[in-house]
Amino acid sequence: MSREIYAYKCRKCGHLHYPYRMVCRNCGENEHNEFDQVPLPKRGKLLTWTRAYSLPADFEVPSLGLGIVELENGIRITGQLRVDDPKIGMDVRGEVEIVRREGYDERYGMIFYEA
Amino acid sequence: MRPVYVIGIGITSFTRLEYPLSEIAAYPAMMAMKDAGWKEIDHLYVANMGSGRVNHQTGLASAVVDTLSLTPAGAEVIENGPASGASAIKTGLMAVASGLHDVVMVTGAERMREVNNLEATEFIATLTHPLAEYIYGVTLPSLAAMFTRLYMEKYGVTERHLAMVAVKNQNNALLNEFAHLQQEISIEGILDSPEAMTNNPYVAEPLRFFDCCPVSDGGACVILASEEVARKVERPLVRLAGVGQATDTHAVHEREEPTDLLAVRRAAAKSFGMAGLTPSDVDVAELHDAFTILEIVESEEVGFFPKGEGEGHLALERGETAVGGKLPINPSGGLKGRGHPVGATGVAQAHEIVHQLRGEAGERQVNDAKVGFTCNFGGFGNNVVCLTFVREN
Repeated sequence: MSREIYAYKCRKCGHLHYPYRMVCRNCGENEHNEFDQVPLPKRGKLLTWTRAYSLPADFEVPSLGLGIVELENGIRITGQLRVDDPKIGMDVRGEVEIVRREGYDERYGMIFYEA
Repeated sequence: MRPVYVIGIGITSFTRLEYPLSEIAAYPAMMAMKDAGWKEIDHLYVANMGSGRVNHQTGLASAVVDTLSLTPAGAEVIENGPASGASAIKTGLMAVASGLHDVVMVTGAERMREVNNLEATEFIATLTHPLAEYIYGVTLPSLAAMFTRLYMEKYGVTERHLAMVAVKNQNNALLNEFAHLQQEISIEGILDSPEAMTNNPYVAEPLRFFDCCPVSDGGACVILASEEVARKVERPLVRLAGVGQATDTHAVHEREEPTDLLAVRRAAAKSFGMAGLTPSDVDVAELHDAFTILEIVESEEVGFFPKGEGEGHLALERGETAVGGKLPINPSGGLKGRGHPVGATGVAQAHEIVHQLRGEAGERQVNDAKVGFTCNFGGFGNNVVCLTFVREN
């Protein structure tokens, strides 16, 4: 099953949002469901990152890479980062994969790799 | 609006407390009533973030008002994440200023050590955006870490500056009997010595263990009153002269300039505006240093030091923010040294400022302090409340 993460484009002014919100942050004019879903581009540049060691109990790993990426269309997204030697500004590509397991629930999100 | 005064203050030790949450809220309230010499309370606000989740107790305000035998006074919980404390004080100010009530008690309390550190971190992580942040394993330390990396890149802040905040605040806490951390630390021990990486490992790179506040239990209380009541109470007159609050996007990545904390800037400006004062009038401040970077950045965003050049870390280098410096920040030890029982923190900040403005702060007293300021930071800067206090007589 292919999965996608979407940005939300205001039908009134065209402003792109990620994540979803119910009223446009730019024009303040629209209402629920007045957004078009636009698939997020998968490539972008790493804006900042961390390697975290003190993790919530759902994560049975010693550490976790996390980053904020500026995608090709200018939208920013927070995701997991699987890069050995991350550098601010480096090119990365994202894949939608399982990012968290909560009991039997699998949660999908964006994981970034070196482009 | 009527002027509003702080007539009584109280606080518990911030540490691991073995008594129930409702008593952690009630004990400082009893101290505050004793401090004020006043027991007629019209209304109670309890600042708390996690009683339902962490302590399996809801309706905390009803429990606290009864524990104090203050029934039938009205009571409710104010929850605004780690800014619950200052939000509750702001709500108390509104109640007295409007004339609805004459005397309002605001007590903040949290009992986080009931769960282990990982569960406490997870509890705080529920503040983050559920779909865009939380599912990835994002925690507050990791958001702060990503912010820190950008700030270092842009303004030349280094791990040494972060360590200087940790040393300053944790050593200030040695002079505060209520503070959680009572251990002297040095730059040598946490950064320079061969053992530093063992003493002070990364929590979320580039933030280390000593860059993060401890998980604490604790409670603090202030009693707010009208001028008429304040003049009857024989305590120094400290007026809550300004409150300001501002919000920002829930997901941190949506902020236009990722090194700005706009909600801090806006909340501070509103608070100073209401008080008719400017940042240069402030003699002592308590800023929300849940992570060391935040003290540096908030000191710029509230207007103490220019942000353009990243002056906050330079002022720190010059010792201006130490007790005895030009503008002491976090003489109590801050969240870093005093501890951070989330719902209580904003009230504890106000407690320290009132203590300082009364001239009762003992060895950590800031000389001749007349104007004090607090910044209570909720979420990762998405809901911030700033308070300005003035000593009048």
